[in-house]
Amino acid sequence: MSGRLKSHWQRWLARRIPAAASVRLNQRRIFIIPSLVGGAFLLALVLMLLAAINYQNSLAYGLTFMLAAVFVVAILHTYRNLAGLILKAGSAPAVFVGEHASFRVRLESSARAHQAISLGWPPAELQTLDVAALGLSECQLSLPALRRGWLRPGRLRVESRFPLGILVAWSWVDLDLALLVYPRPIEGDLPLAAGANEDQEEGSRAHGQGVDDYQGLKTYQPGDSKRRLHWKAYSRGQGLLVKDFASLSGRDPLLDFAALGGDVEARLSLLCHWVLQLSARQQPFALSLPGCLLAADSGEQHREACLRALALFGEPA
Amino acid sequence: MSRSGGIPRISLTWLLVAQVLVILPHLGHLPLWIVALWLGCAGWRIQIFRMRAGYPNGWAKAGLMLAAVLGVLMSRGSLIGLDAGVVLLIAAFVLKLVEMRTRRDALVLIFLGFFTVVTAYLFDDSMLMALFSLLPVTALLAAMIGLQQSSLATQPWPTLRLAGGLLLQALPLMLLLFVFFPRLGPLWALPVPSDKSTSGLADSMTPADIAELSRSPELAFRASFAGPTPDRSELYWRALTLEHFDGRRWSQSNFTQQAAAPSWSKRGEVLRYSVVMQPSSQRWLFALDVAETSLEQTQQMSDFRLQRRLPVERSLIYQVSSWPEALREPQQVAGGLNRTLQLPAQGEPRSRAWAAELKRQHAQPEQLVQALLEHFNREPFHYTLRPPPLGQNNIDDFLFDTRSGFCAHYAGAMTFVLRAAGIPARVVAGYQGGEYNPAGNYVQVRQFDAHAWVEYWQAGRGWVSVDPTFQVAPERIEMGLEEALAGEQSFLEGSPLSPLRYRQLSWLNQLRMGWDNLNYGWQRWVLGYQSAQQLAFLQRWLGRIDGQSLALSLVGGGALLLGLLALWLFKPWQRERDVQRRIFRRFERLLARHGLSRLPGEGPRAYAERAAQALPAQASAIRAFAAAFEAQRYAGQAHSLAQLRGHLKTLRRALPWRLTRVQP
Repeated sequence: MSGRLKSHWQRWLARRIPAAASVRLNQRRIFIIPSLVGGAFLLALVLMLLAAINYQNSLAYGLTFMLAAVFVVAILHTYRNLAGLILKAGSAPAVFVGEHASFRVRLESSARAHQAISLGWPPAELQTLDVAALGLSECQLSLPALRRGWLRPGRLRVESRFPLGILVAWSWVDLDLALLVYPRPIEGDLPLAAGANEDQEEGSRAHGQGVDDYQGLKTYQPGDSKRRLHWKAYSRGQGLLVKDFASLSGRDPLLDFAALGGDVEARLSLLCHWVLQLSARQQPFALSLPGCLLAADSGEQHREACLRALALFGEPA
Repeated sequence: MSRSGGIPRISLTWLLVAQVLVILPHLGHLPLWIVALWLGCAGWRIQIFRMRAGYPNGWAKAGLMLAAVLGVLMSRGSLIGLDAGVVLLIAAFVLKLVEMRTRRDALVLIFLGFFTVVTAYLFDDSMLMALFSLLPVTALLAAMIGLQQSSLATQPWPTLRLAGGLLLQALPLMLLLFVFFPRLGPLWALPVPSDKSTSGLADSMTPADIAELSRSPELAFRASFAGPTPDRSELYWRALTLEHFDGRRWSQSNFTQQAAAPSWSKRGEVLRYSVVMQPSSQRWLFALDVAETSLEQTQQMSDFRLQRRLPVERSLIYQVSSWPEALREPQQVAGGLNRTLQLPAQGEPRSRAWAAELKRQHAQPEQLVQALLEHFNREPFHYTLRPPPLGQNNIDDFLFDTRSGFCAHYAGAMTFVLRAAGIPARVVAGYQGGEYNPAGNYVQVRQFDAHAWVEYWQAGRGWVSVDPTFQVAPERIEMGLEEALAGEQSFLEGSPLSPLRYRQLSWLNQLRMGWDNLNYGWQRWVLGYQSAQQLAFLQRWLGRIDGQSLALSLVGGGALLLGLLALWLFKPWQRERDVQRRIFRRFERLLARHGLSRLPGEGPRAYAERAAQALPAQASAIRAFAAAFEAQRYAGQAHSLAQLRGHLKTLRRALPWRLTRVQP
């Protein structure tokens, strides 16, 4: 029953506050109710009213009414503190399983200042920050990355209890936040894949092997790995040169999913480890996953592509 | 947001300030040790904040609580009752400060503070107190705001300003609630403040009691007449009658407490007026003879006084109609005449002999009374508040030897002689006269207007009032006590600073009258705004009153006020209708993020030039936008919003996306 209610609520929310990379909070999107503190405040008011009635004291009536009116006025203030706030999704760099995923959310003020805005995904603690009038604040929300693939934290709660804390105004905004989580790299031996090399001289392990044959220097072109920059030449004033290695086809290791044993996640973790290792050594490699083959290459883009393929392996696109 | 975190500095500061302001009005009725405890706790709390002291542990807390409870028990004699309750409340308010660690504790303290302000009203509900109490309430709200995790809440003045602003914005709604919220009768009886000193008439009288009252300038009541205010010599405000004499003291007989309304018939003109009475802790009300009131729980007693079921512990407003010429019990006195003829078995031989002599000379009671009054008038009687001491037979001594005294002496002696001559008589205690305030068209009666006079009974005419003091000192009746005592300067001897002593200074007197008028208005329209007054007020303005129309006015008025407030807060008219300006605002916002806000009065061109110089890399994009805006807006070029938007987009792309603190 509660599940059905919840899904109903989610559908209603999706209609009312559709997902968007930028959301401006307005009366359609802001909800407001008394907070727990507000409940206690109202209880105190009832006690004061009882005292006023029993003592027939006009001033006690007056103070009770004054605070009741403050409560009502605070509704406007609390709402105003949230209204007009613009939330935008910022960049979200990919992380590995076990790390903390951090999402950047930008808060922009369209006119006035916004005080003590809390953001987050309950039940985790919310982060609180201020936005100056016509200003911009950025907030980094972190979430543990527990499994590989797309991490979609869902609707973000934005709330404010300013100024008195007796009311809470909130909204659930969907900024379409998503972040790629790579498998956790786990060290281990990699049996050299059969298809890659049959040359006996090289032994049976990629592990411990030197880099490919050094061929000489070539001028740097955008896209070349910065790790291969020849800094000594640069300091001598010869310009940006890159150490060039011969990519001897047939000698590049192939990281093959099929060649490994164990369960899927363990295999992916091992492959991930080797993608990182080989990339660090600037060694070209190929990656083979069932239904997907990445040809031997090196460089940042190749590394990203491999990790992405590992992260999304078996996931619906 | 962690709601259980520590208490921010600003909140603590405002809490300490609020505590001072909350406790200040209570100082008059707090035992001294509470003040010491409070100072100690505040000091301790500050040391905790400076990390120089620790929080009290469980034992210390329990010990302090126990000590406070014992202290209340010692200084108040009990733990129940309003006084003890208030001291306990303040002790808790003070102790909670030290123990307070979390935001929740701070909130408890703030709510306790609000409640303590309410209890202060029970002791003092003057206008000044009401105005003063806005200070602690503002400080408490500021402390509440200070608990928020916002940069604003770390600055003391903006916090205070916001709290004050909230109160101001709440004011119209509060007034609406005050006027329309239905007033109920007390739901249950509650203890009342006991040390609220009330002076006034008591249910027995010796001349010394009246002399004591004559020294007090304290207000007894004020009265506003619907028609012209009668001459002060006609204002005999009855409080009670004293029928029993024990040789020294006149006191009221038990009979008047039992019997119900006596018979009387209305005659002559009627006076209609309202009285606002100060708390007297007595049950009788003040009214001119013969009075009728619609006030609930009030009845006319057998001696024509008005009496409530419960003592008057807070100021009371009532409407009265009086028939000064009414005929009172012309045929027979309820409960018989014996009470009104009672005298001590012996004593006062000379007075008794004189009474017998008078009776022989004057067969008719009327003539006898007349002769007696003439005697007071003719013989050298003297009006003074410093009479010489009297002996055992004090009436004899007064009538035949000293011949000086004031109203209580004259009324007591006359009643004695009348009774001794066989004429039923009694002493009436109350107030006479009062000061007319022309600013507010009302009469204020103070304790020194306390007076005693005589009424005697005669078959066919009923009760007749006479005032022997008038024969001796007519200026007391016609002008007041001050004039009657002009010769001996004993008027308000005990209060040299009372403004009443300086009535001859006209500016001071006007100031005093104006101030009193203000207080009277406060009492009538604010303090007295309870069920009956509310009903009368609403009926005058709204016509018929029922629950539906009341609720409608409350809700409708509230919605209207809130709507106005929302308009003022959100200022929707400031939202740009003009699309060009809107785009320019976006341009401004974009540059503001890079620390370049448009100065007030800075034109678009000057602003763009300044921005271009500050951001040389984007200068061309900035200038392009400004030029297009200017050309479209001011040079009459055809409007092309797309062009403007395009320029803005170019600029946005050119600007690095980075955060810059806005320069002050």
